[in-house]
Amino acid sequence: MDLAKYRALFLEEATDHLSEMSQALLVLEKRPDASEAIDEAFRMAHSIKGMAGSLGYDSITELSHKLEDTMERFRAVGAVPAGESGLVLLFAGLEGLEKMVASVRAGDELAMADPGLLRRLEGVVDSGGRESPQATDRDPTRSVEPDPKKAETP
Amino acid sequence: MKRILIADDASFMRQMIRDIIEPEGYEVVGEASDGVEVIDQFLELRPDLVMMDIVMPKRSGIDAVKAIKVEDPGATVVMCSALGQEMLVMEAMEAGAKDFIVKPFKPDAVLTTLGKVLEKED
Repeated sequence: MDLAKYRALFLEEATDHLSEMSQALLVLEKRPDASEAIDEAFRMAHSIKGMAGSLGYDSITELSHKLEDTMERFRAVGAVPAGESGLVLLFAGLEGLEKMVASVRAGDELAMADPGLLRRLEGVVDSGGRESPQATDRDPTRSVEPDPKKAETP
Repeated sequence: MKRILIADDASFMRQMIRDIIEPEGYEVVGEASDGVEVIDQFLELRPDLVMMDIVMPKRSGIDAVKAIKVEDPGATVVMCSALGQEMLVMEAMEAGAKDFIVKPFKPDAVLTTLGKVLEKED
């Protein structure tokens, strides 16, 4: 695989996707039930996950996968809540991905995804996409074991 | 030379598939970036096989498989899925897709699947 070629393609497409995800989140800020915006944000996270997985960018893959799962729950519910367990969390995820893509662009070593952010995203998935205050109140030192019964992202 | 149509909204993925299959003698006759474009290109180009992403704008890959099978029940479609999309892959297979490959793509797996599916069709 020509890594340089694919890295350049990744940077170009991931940057575009993050911009489109940002636009979609801004639409959701005004209209939390804008299904086309939820779909768009979901597709962008899904696409970034696929590209990052192909290049071995594990922390980008992990964060985009968690965002995708979270958005999938919001799709099922039909709206994105405005609070810490909703839009604020998605913007935090977007910011996390933007920083990681910037690291790839700068040639820096890719940092691990923020464990607290990942836990909060998991909290939304576990709650089925509904408001979940517990998701932000978890003991940050507690490890989260994957639930084999949990539905995966379609 | 077998003629392949690639449908994926990420040009990164389309390029990756192209780089895997072209050196092995497959001809990429077209690329589509959404679920409407792939149907239009299928009808125009009549490829031997379509490699179809599931998550695409405008129409999903599953919708596109259903539409293509209505137009041409003998069409050969292989789904490109991600881990965790098992239910959607099953739905696509029920709609008439012949097989599937999982991202991130492993060149050997891609080529084996294409070879197997096209051999059955011959």
